Amino acid sequence: MFNISKDIAPPFKMIEPFFKFGSIIYLISIFSLLFLNSNSNLNDLNIVGWAHLFLLGFVMVIIFGAMAQLVPVVLEVGHFSVDLYYIIFPALSIGAILMVAGFWFVPVVLPYGGLLVLIAMATFLFETLMTLKKTEANTLTVKSVKYGNIFLTIAIIIGFFMALAIGEGVNVDISRFLPIHIVLVLFGYVTVTIIGLSMVLLPMFGLAHGYDDSDVELAFKIVVGSVIAYVICKLIGLNFIANIALAAIVVGIAFYLKQLLTLYKIRARKLVDIWYKHIYTAFISLGVAAVFGILWLLFGWENGLKVAIWLFVLGFFTFVINGHLLKIIPFLVWFERFSPLVGKKRVPMLHEMLPDKDVEYSFWFSLSGLIVGAFGLMFGSDSLFKGGVTLLGFGAIFMLITVLYILKFDVKDV
Amino acid sequence: MCSVTKEQVYNELRKIIDPEVGFNLVEMGLIYDVEVDEECNVKVTMTLSTKACPLHQMITQWVEDAPKSIDGVKNVEVNLVWEPEWNISMAEDNVKKALGAL
Repeated sequence: MFNISKDIAPPFKMIEPFFKFGSIIYLISIFSLLFLNSNSNLNDLNIVGWAHLFLLGFVMVIIFGAMAQLVPVVLEVGHFSVDLYYIIFPALSIGAILMVAGFWFVPVVLPYGGLLVLIAMATFLFETLMTLKKTEANTLTVKSVKYGNIFLTIAIIIGFFMALAIGEGVNVDISRFLPIHIVLVLFGYVTVTIIGLSMVLLPMFGLAHGYDDSDVELAFKIVVGSVIAYVICKLIGLNFIANIALAAIVVGIAFYLKQLLTLYKIRARKLVDIWYKHIYTAFISLGVAAVFGILWLLFGWENGLKVAIWLFVLGFFTFVINGHLLKIIPFLVWFERFSPLVGKKRVPMLHEMLPDKDVEYSFWFSLSGLIVGAFGLMFGSDSLFKGGVTLLGFGAIFMLITVLYILKFDVKDV
Repeated sequence: MCSVTKEQVYNELRKIIDPEVGFNLVEMGLIYDVEVDEECNVKVTMTLSTKACPLHQMITQWVEDAPKSIDGVKNVEVNLVWEPEWNISMAEDNVKKALGAL
């Protein structure tokens, strides 16, 4: 059994910028929603720009930062070269900003942003694949890292060519490749990665042991198989079967939720802390998003699709990420500043490093914003949607305050 | 003849607290056994609540260091095992109660 040590844990100063930048971009991305029209078409470049701001600047930056710490834990081997994360952060953060500027203001910078993002992701993929070569473990989590990264590779190559098409006029059929790019990123990478990592993190934080994991194994196979089927069918023009593959992804997610229910029932740690609140919200959002997604597939209800995307992105992704930030960042700070003091003086518990009120404000503002915004999209009411966004924005402010508080937490605060 | 007792070792191990859950390793039920031989060598058999614990190496190091503060202890060996797998029933009642499992 491998274990993390001071020698191979990522240096704190390397990981800190990922979490700071990600939290700042999260705040900016929420307030920038106020300048978007909720009745816009999903192909509108303003919406596409926002999606890249949120997914690259927040979701990917946080996932990559967390991966620097989690890869050794879940793969049970040390990084191939953790120093490569020094390249990943600036390339990804600057690339994301340039891409968003390209979508929103100056299309000519889009390919340059795309190239930087490509470099960041290629570096991440190289580091992760070389690390994967060292592991003999073949757990669901290891498989999720493998498949997730393969899907991400294809997605970023397609994305780069689309950026060339928009910025430089290269002849690429965007309407054909955009849905493939979206499915590969949202389901192939982010969802598969969350499924894999959650099977380590949820039992660890919930103290759940001795459970049957056949549901999540099945969920993983269905989601991966369906993503592959979707990509192939879209490429050869079998749109009807591609839609069936989308529906199958929802079935896979249903099995994943069933597995989570099993974990929930057998968990030893039953106290509902702030992490639990975030996780409940995330997975309930995922379930409700799946229902709205099915309604869109069955009846072509466009507002239903918007609600599904809203709940999937700002409910599932956001709450699962922010909830885990409240576990991961205190741990990293504790590991850096307090672990050498164990046995010498009193050290704080991880939950003592959270600013309780700010954390609660962040959660409740965000939850109410999520719900109000969903109703706004469902009824096509832009003012209701903007009201929800404003509430989410207050949640994001308190989240940023929380992250900065934890990052500054030091011996004098104990 | 060694004068170090198992109870003394357990008392030192009670000072090691898991920062995530806030309980010491003994009350969590993570220490399976302590042996002290006639030459005052200590062997601690223990587990962790999860194989993916990121503090794995650090906690075993703390367990190795803790008994050394007792006068007379020579060598300390930590035997980390995964069988039997830890579960909440191994914890003391105060832990179960605090976690909402009782």
